[in-house]
Amino acid sequence: MKYIRNILLSLVGLYILSLVFISIDINDSRPFVSLFKKLQTDSALEVVDFSVEKKDSLKPRPKPNKDRNPYYGDLHVHTKYSFDAYVFGVTASPDDAYRYAKGEGVRHPLGYEMKLREPLDFYAVTDHGFYMGMIQAYADTSTDISQNDFAEPFHNLNNLDNLTVESAAVRTSIFSSVLGATIIQPYPDWHPKILKAYFTRNTQLALRSFDYDIHKSAWSDVARSANEHNDPGHFTTFIGYEFTTSTDIEGANLHRNVIFNSSKASIRPWTRIDSINPEDLWTWQDKLREKGVDTISIPHNSNGSNGQMFEMETFKANAIDINYSKKRMRNEPIVEITQVKGTSDTHPLLSPDDDWADFEIMDTRVGSIPPTFSKPSGSYVREAYLNGLTLEFTRQGNPYKFGLIGSTDTHVVAASLDESNYWSKVGLLDGDPQNRGSVPLEPENVERLTEYMRAFNQPTSTLNFEQGEYANTGFTQWGASGLAVAWAEENTRESIFNAFKRKETFATTGTRIALRFFGGFNLSSIDLNSESLISEAYEKGVTMGSDLLSDGVNSPEFIVWAKKDKNSAPLQRIQIVKGWIDMTSGRPMEKVFDVVCSDGLEPDPETFRCPDNGARVNINDCSISTDVGSSELKTLWKDPEFIRADKSFYYARVLENPSCRWSTWDAIKAGYKPREDLHETIQERAWSSPIWYVPEESDVEVIPLGGTIQMRNID
Amino acid sequence: MGLNSYDEKEIYISDQEIISLVTAWKSQVGRNPNDDEIARIINNLVEEEILYREALKLGLDREDRIIKRRLAQKISFLKQESIPDSPSNEDLIEYFNKNNNKYFIDSKYTFSHYFFSNENNSFERSSKAYIDLLNNTSINSDPFFLGKNFVDVSEREIKSEFGEDFSSNFIDVELNKWIGPLESPFGHHIIYVRNYSQGYLPNITSVLKQVEVDFLQTQRDEAIKNYLNQIRSEYKIYINPDLQI
Repeated sequence: MKYIRNILLSLVGLYILSLVFISIDINDSRPFVSLFKKLQTDSALEVVDFSVEKKDSLKPRPKPNKDRNPYYGDLHVHTKYSFDAYVFGVTASPDDAYRYAKGEGVRHPLGYEMKLREPLDFYAVTDHGFYMGMIQAYADTSTDISQNDFAEPFHNLNNLDNLTVESAAVRTSIFSSVLGATIIQPYPDWHPKILKAYFTRNTQLALRSFDYDIHKSAWSDVARSANEHNDPGHFTTFIGYEFTTSTDIEGANLHRNVIFNSSKASIRPWTRIDSINPEDLWTWQDKLREKGVDTISIPHNSNGSNGQMFEMETFKANAIDINYSKKRMRNEPIVEITQVKGTSDTHPLLSPDDDWADFEIMDTRVGSIPPTFSKPSGSYVREAYLNGLTLEFTRQGNPYKFGLIGSTDTHVVAASLDESNYWSKVGLLDGDPQNRGSVPLEPENVERLTEYMRAFNQPTSTLNFEQGEYANTGFTQWGASGLAVAWAEENTRESIFNAFKRKETFATTGTRIALRFFGGFNLSSIDLNSESLISEAYEKGVTMGSDLLSDGVNSPEFIVWAKKDKNSAPLQRIQIVKGWIDMTSGRPMEKVFDVVCSDGLEPDPETFRCPDNGARVNINDCSISTDVGSSELKTLWKDPEFIRADKSFYYARVLENPSCRWSTWDAIKAGYKPREDLHETIQERAWSSPIWYVPEESDVEVIPLGGTIQMRNID
Repeated sequence: MGLNSYDEKEIYISDQEIISLVTAWKSQVGRNPNDDEIARIINNLVEEEILYREALKLGLDREDRIIKRRLAQKISFLKQESIPDSPSNEDLIEYFNKNNNKYFIDSKYTFSHYFFSNENNSFERSSKAYIDLLNNTSINSDPFFLGKNFVDVSEREIKSEFGEDFSSNFIDVELNKWIGPLESPFGHHIIYVRNYSQGYLPNITSVLKQVEVDFLQTQRDEAIKNYLNQIRSEYKIYINPDLQI
């Protein structure tokens, strides 16, 4: 008896001792202190091949094109597995998402059908990794986990009227309770689950509100669905998820989508519960790469990051160094410049001389309650390119040498790309024009809106204009955008993923413009009207996403060629956006050049602006001028202000003739005039990834102005 | 709405329920749904309700639309699970014969084209070029964005690159002959179709796996349809005939 008691006592003693050591380990990372670290296995590094036994496609696979084809897709799509999509009333699955991308209709939570005008070439379901599949399990009262207190609000989500816009208030407060992590309830320190969480480096296991089996089964269903719908040569899918992180204090958005290169992936997504620091995400990606699984992470909604996405310092406010820059570029070759929640090319305050900068600006932080202004500096792509050059000067490397794509971030599985048939992205909350704020509210909806905005902590729930009272929901700043386009040899995972890695990509606002962009020192030797134009340009120059190294003699030349979307407005102009560091002053500079105009017009040699081509929109019926604008635009361009010593980047921007914005379409369909404080029209557009001009090494070092450079830790 | 308040085989679809769905539909699409569309909306509601009631009988009761949908999905899965995993060869052959359009391999075209951009008098230039071509005189065309030669492309792909009108020119097209000028949204084209492979129906053995997957999927869909039809007759449906939308 005594013997047994002693054993039991010493077991308890050992248990307590190990808990003590673990708490030391967690709080102190010095190697001689960390006793158990060696015993840890990293559960997020276990690789699983999710490939499925597939019917073989009989459709002959098209031959690869060495001059590459443009493939259009969306890399940012949520389904019912996302904690918020489920709260938004979405019950559609990853399979539904891929069916939609291939051209089939799927149902919106409000009951209407969503269908693409033409199928897409690739698609990736990217549900929030954090809490993936869990909310569904809370709402499903047959699961064990739904019996907990924290799951109860989700049962209430489902009272009779709740699949309607009336439920918006309760839905919003639930959304913020997940984001605000009030449902994260850790087990007490002594609990065995804490030990398990420690030894498998899986913090989630320490949470009462988390069920690992449900989480893994949601993730493996996402991966299975991607693999099942992948059809090499015809339709490409990627396994992916969203790493939904933010800064602690300001709640600034640092969201990224992680895309896998093959049928293999980690057994679970690495999420914000593992770490909120993006650098830890990159470390995980690096380790996965060593195991043969390549991934990229794609930042999005930098516009709502309050200046944090493209900072001049690291997440922990250290100086950026060359290793940081290399690591970031290794893992983040491309950035999402446009999506439903606004466009992040540039902001009017950052680019006062760019007449097209005021375009689909969303000026609040993502998910902020109450809606809070997002600081433009550090939040936009063009300034990040400039800051990258600045950091390069100070030998910190360039962490912002990324290519560009667009995507939608739809939460209803279906990308909303068409201004004339728009459903925004958060299901019940913005699935109809009254809630989106594009048509006046019916009187009975005003009170509901007030309640909803109270949940959002927004003092002003409605706005009064000439035609009536409108919802002040913020959805007016969202829009029907965008697409990712990859120049790839063929429509396969491998070929398209490689295009992302090379940054041979461009972004559009949902239109299917096609855009070629080359730079070189001898491109004027190519006949622009020759059939071999593209193969010669590849041979003699570099394409979008590349460096153009100075040859010490010549000025760079650029070939740019765009083709319109046959279902959209004609092209109005192609511009080249140039950014550089002026060596005489150290200032970052930028300038927009119109390089080719529609209808045979010429850019003014002084102002570099195309004359007005006369294209107009009829706001009463959204018809557009049919006799002006171009089906294609093409030119060879030389930078008239080129200075050999200046580090520079150049990217192309293509503008369509104006057409109606979705808010105008909404109003017209409902028999109203467009709301007077919104842009009535939009110029759909495309942006290429930049070409960076790299001058020869100079003896003179100019430390540029701009940004807040910390000089510590610089090698 | 509680179950106790009415007979469990009577379904009352409330005006409000229909109106709210129709309103959502209308505000999105910009017009009222037509009769067919209203019928479809109501039919969906009715079917969902029936499955819901059947699910309730299994004791899984919660009163809301999301759970109804989820229960409806659940009972659908239950009914689907009764389908045997390995269908017989006869079944597969019959299914293949009935649905052979699904397995049809599209016709493919291999063609070259001269392109004349509508940025530059495409009709005049292409008309002249066509005559020059017949006389073996050299011509001046423009490069096309997606290239000059298209190998083994289907009609659907031609439609997506060049538009519907242009693709209709490929029906019964003559081989090895210059044809044009043909108009597309980008300008005019003179095409030369070198090869045409007639679409064909493959032998069932080469698509057996796919037929099996499709057959099972159809069986599952059928099972739920049959089940619905079978119990639907037990329900009386009440819808306000005077409802104005």
